[in-house]
Amino acid sequence: MEILSREIKPEDAASPVDQLVKLTVRDLEKLPPPYDKPGMEPELTDPKPEWKEKYATDLDGYIAIDLPWKPKNKEEEERLIKSFLNGLNKLLTKEGNWTFLQPLLLSLEYCAKCQTCSNACPIYIMSGKQEVYKPTWRAEILRRIWKKYCTPAGKIFGKFVSGDIELNAKTLMRLAESAYRCTLCRRCTQTCPIGVDNGLISHEIRKLFSQEMGIAPKALHELGTVQHLKVGSSTGLTPDGVKDIIEFIEDDIEDKIGKRIKIPVDEKGADILLIHNAGEFLSWPENPAAFAILFEEAGISWTLSSEQVAYDAVNYGVWYDDLQLARIAAKHAEIANKLEVNKIVVGECGHAHKAITVIADRVLHDDIWIPRESCMPILWEIVKKEKINFDPEKNNFPVTLHDPCNMVRLMGVVEPQRKILRKLAPQFREMEPHGVYNYCCGGGSGFAIMQSMNFPEWRNAVATRMKFKQVLEAFKDCLDPSINKYICAPCSNCKGAIRDMLSYYQASERLSIYYGGLVELMVNAMVDLEEPFVEWEFH
Amino acid sequence: MPVLEVKGKKLTLDEDGFLQDWEEWDEEVAEALAKDTRFSPQPIELTEDHWVLIRYLREYFLKYGVAPPVRMLVKHMKKTLGKEKGTLEYIYKLFPQGPAKDACRIAGLPKPTGCV
Repeated sequence: MEILSREIKPEDAASPVDQLVKLTVRDLEKLPPPYDKPGMEPELTDPKPEWKEKYATDLDGYIAIDLPWKPKNKEEEERLIKSFLNGLNKLLTKEGNWTFLQPLLLSLEYCAKCQTCSNACPIYIMSGKQEVYKPTWRAEILRRIWKKYCTPAGKIFGKFVSGDIELNAKTLMRLAESAYRCTLCRRCTQTCPIGVDNGLISHEIRKLFSQEMGIAPKALHELGTVQHLKVGSSTGLTPDGVKDIIEFIEDDIEDKIGKRIKIPVDEKGADILLIHNAGEFLSWPENPAAFAILFEEAGISWTLSSEQVAYDAVNYGVWYDDLQLARIAAKHAEIANKLEVNKIVVGECGHAHKAITVIADRVLHDDIWIPRESCMPILWEIVKKEKINFDPEKNNFPVTLHDPCNMVRLMGVVEPQRKILRKLAPQFREMEPHGVYNYCCGGGSGFAIMQSMNFPEWRNAVATRMKFKQVLEAFKDCLDPSINKYICAPCSNCKGAIRDMLSYYQASERLSIYYGGLVELMVNAMVDLEEPFVEWEFH
Repeated sequence: MPVLEVKGKKLTLDEDGFLQDWEEWDEEVAEALAKDTRFSPQPIELTEDHWVLIRYLREYFLKYGVAPPVRMLVKHMKKTLGKEKGTLEYIYKLFPQGPAKDACRIAGLPKPTGCV
């Protein structure tokens, strides 16, 4: 297979080679002990030959966009380029981009190419500094296309305006795939001395390909937002299904705590409509169970909804498509209003937090406007006001906290969750860095749910690598497998990524590192519970 | 797309080995899926215990459109096969790549989607 074996520049995006880069484990940044020895992690594989014919493997051999969109001939290539330029022009107008036009233009105009952002990017660093993963690499490709094809000066003077770029099918396939080598964690944005938002550029590239060209990973679009709006949840869960699982959770709570709790569903006039990520019902039902126990014991007036869309807090639109984002946010608000609740509270789901509380402000007009909040301050209130009796000794094992980017860096919900842990987990230790300077779990922006073909391999080996390093360092004093350790990750998407990370590196078997949410730890510390709530089992 | 031949019929799979059309599934298809080493390192010999799980997955899917929570699977196994076999560990013993990648695939369910 032909690759480029020299330093890769933005103009190389158009190169006719099969793949720009090919990764091996030896290229990647080293992990701390015991993962510093060879053979501790799987080797990286080549894409199957038959994939290369249909899918865009041209960047690094990995496939995020699992649609067969590789053009087969010159006409298809031309059509692709034309539709891309159409989309780009729309992205640069107020009518076509009512959400992010201004920050996009500022970011395209002003990059000083100082690379401060690259050094803040966990993917670039942990990949062993691969040029193609630099936040500036994809931004520069878009910038050059924009200048050359969409500005008057560029149309006349071409490459002399700002470096050349050839626009062919390879350029577009690599640009689109590279927008899915960024988790939109926006650590780069946080560190840029002049406020350029390279995370937003990844987002806008994804948006252009989705909104204009119908090109997006199936897990996000077809099986994501489309399924969410049509069936009720991106998991495929139906209203009957969610009711069945809620009943199952009630049984499970009774088995565990010896007391039956009636979980309120569709209760009109409750104070709070609590919306969970529906993944919790299917993969981590102990999380909604723990919420139910805490809210019941603390005497909170709340309800879940069993209406389509409203039992799934996710809004994958936030990652790739503003139109889908708006549709889902409006539906959430509409159902909350119909239930006559005072506010929507989002459970442990990071991107849902940002979608409904922050971005939806641009969508929710007067008749459907409703207050929206994070669950974190409510949970802290329960501990602070001693609404429930807790015994921290029940949580006397090593705990570290993962900060979901959307909730923490991008929304500023930093303290309540750690205040809870400082009170209820005697062996709580921070990862470094943490809080608003945290690193992404590697599953951000939809990566945790993109399970097609070889993408999970890339995610586990490269995108989650920094998180795995942080986890090993946080627990370096207690790596002994006889000690159970808990990564507290208050976000379903992050939990999914961390689950896959622990499995890929076999860290539960080798080191007894487990993971779970925040509310599970709270319930585990409840004085009234005879048996521990946290189960030390990989799931 | 990969193809699976059963009784002279060609069934389309997705790139990860899941049946494209869940309605094409029957027990012989399950046997063929279990033996397909393109998507699992080893062929799986289906025993009665495997079938207990496959049938449960299938019934739940037909009723609710999704695979049940793993916790529910474990409870069902406990109820049907006894305490010893009612564990996640045993499910992994039956289906080495786990409930999603192996059990759902062999039961002809679509690949799980969403934050699961």
